[in-house]
Amino acid sequence: MKLTNNQIKQLYTFTRDHFVYHFDLQTELVDHLANGIERTLEKKPALSFESALQIEFKKFGVFGFQDVVEKRKKALNKKYWKIIFTYYKKYFSLPKIILTAFLTFFLFTLLNNISLNVRHYCLIGLFICFLIPIYIQLIKLNRYLKKRERKWLFEEILLTQMGLANLFLIPIHILNIKLNLNNTYILGVTSFFVVVTLLLFHVMVFKIPKKAEKLLEETYPEYKMMNT
Amino acid sequence: MSNSKLYKGSLNTIILKLLDEQGKMYGYEITQKVKLLTKGELKITEGALYPALHKLEAEGLLDVEVAKVDNRLRKYYKLTEQGEKETVNRLAELEEFIRSMQNLVNPDWSIN
Repeated sequence: MKLTNNQIKQLYTFTRDHFVYHFDLQTELVDHLANGIERTLEKKPALSFESALQIEFKKFGVFGFQDVVEKRKKALNKKYWKIIFTYYKKYFSLPKIILTAFLTFFLFTLLNNISLNVRHYCLIGLFICFLIPIYIQLIKLNRYLKKRERKWLFEEILLTQMGLANLFLIPIHILNIKLNLNNTYILGVTSFFVVVTLLLFHVMVFKIPKKAEKLLEETYPEYKMMNT
Repeated sequence: MSNSKLYKGSLNTIILKLLDEQGKMYGYEITQKVKLLTKGELKITEGALYPALHKLEAEGLLDVEVAKVDNRLRKYYKLTEQGEKETVNRLAELEEFIRSMQNLVNPDWSIN
């Protein structure tokens, strides 16, 4: 006995009601539940669709789909960081390492030539100047995601980087640490650290979202199918 | 999964081995195939199967394909080239483990 289109829709609603909000995971779980229900109904035709669904759902254990969702997020986060580092490491090999070295040298020279009293404030100002466009970009990407009818888990990871809001705390930490920016060695290390941190933000917020479409098509064969 | 503590560590290897033999499979099919092969002795739970599949996919050992079957989409898993190599390694590891366990459970006391 094959399930009807309406019953398949009901299964999508069922997964959403059980905290699975992303289409990619919903689709996989719907197919799994549908296969199980069809087999159960073949064996016990007198059973209702709803009862067969409950039997199949119970097989996922007491936490329902929660474990599947959590582990999927974890696996995709791992994939996300692998992609980030593929792009990020380019800044540490030729030719882009020249840019990294130049920016570090530029920042070092700048800090070295200004009064010691304002060096910390200069660093904080630099972070703020960089974080404002990042924040604007994040708001734009969040709005775009909210408008999407179908939610894809990997798209959400690629475009939002939920922990990024905490990065606004970095300038405050710099102010608290009170590094000895009078020491040339510390000043050099600080300049390098600031440059590599800002480059990482740049890759995460500007580079990767531009490639999101391609990365999503690689991750989800159904993504292209649904968007054509 | 019955005797879950004993089987848990081998779940990924079981999945890789099945995909190596069958080419491509979908989640429900894997649970049923394992049940059939082990005559119901080993039941892979849904809550363990999908996290394992997603982890192997993220590690680059599995590739996915989606096809429309009846009135729904079905996600098939298959081994990547890296996955094929890893299957050979993991099966060799598992066989070595089984041999060691056999030696521990049934030690050969004879003097050669």
